Amino acid sequence: MNWVAASIIVIVLWGVVGLFQKMGANHSSANSLLVWTTAGYIVLLPFLYSYSHLLALPGRSILLGLITGLTNALGAWCLYAAMEKGAAASVVVPLTALNPLLTVILAVLFLGERLTLIQIAGIVLAVIAAVLLSCESETPVLEPQVN
Amino acid sequence: MPYALLACFWWGLFGFLAKIGSNQVNAADMQILFAGGTAPLAAFLLLRRTGLRADHRGRFIGIVIGIAAGLGGIAYFVAMAGGKASLVGPVTSLFPLVTVVLATLVLKERLNRFQTAGIVLALISAVLLAM
Repeated sequence: MNWVAASIIVIVLWGVVGLFQKMGANHSSANSLLVWTTAGYIVLLPFLYSYSHLLALPGRSILLGLITGLTNALGAWCLYAAMEKGAAASVVVPLTALNPLLTVILAVLFLGERLTLIQIAGIVLAVIAAVLLSCESETPVLEPQVN
Repeated sequence: MPYALLACFWWGLFGFLAKIGSNQVNAADMQILFAGGTAPLAAFLLLRRTGLRADHRGRFIGIVIGIAAGLGGIAYFVAMAGGKASLVGPVTSLFPLVTVVLATLVLKERLNRFQTAGIVLALISAVLLAM
């Protein structure tokens, strides 16, 4: 599968995740949602196992994969910590949407990825678009159903 | 604000490491290891036992989120294996496009002018990046 098709699948699935997060917000605290999300990852494991060559992998690759998961969890942790400290989600979430810029910089510096001018323009627009799309209107807070 | 920038740092690093990992490990194994790397935080939150509130519906939605996010993760690692991290990272970060559109359809949310502008820019950027 080429990367464009795979990326479209990512956008659709993670987009649906965003919708479910909105739907779950009144039924679960942020911490609890993270725990149950991890439970959902575990549900997938038996299915993934049939495609796995985990035991044949070098230790270095296994460590790299685990650290990849950890960095993602730490990102979520920092987002929640920012909001616990009282920062408004309407400010914090658009700010975190800048994160692909670091991926681009690291990939260009350390992986030698080269970009055309059109691609650079596309990247800049995509990051601005992600920031704008995360700008939620301040809606009146619903009475939480769980407390 | 420092925490928000720290979140940017970890997620930006995540994209970079996901690329290096996907070059040497298949997407299924990346997702397995990803889940393994996430587990310590979930375990920590469970052990700390504060701020854990969810009703039945909240738990169910959480598990569904994990399944959808995990399937998306597999596709993400496939994309990273096949494309440049400097393109896959920014393109996949456009997922809120689908969220805001679904929210207008399912939750009857209204788009604000920032989000409308975001949709237009997202579509233009997608065309540029697919060229």
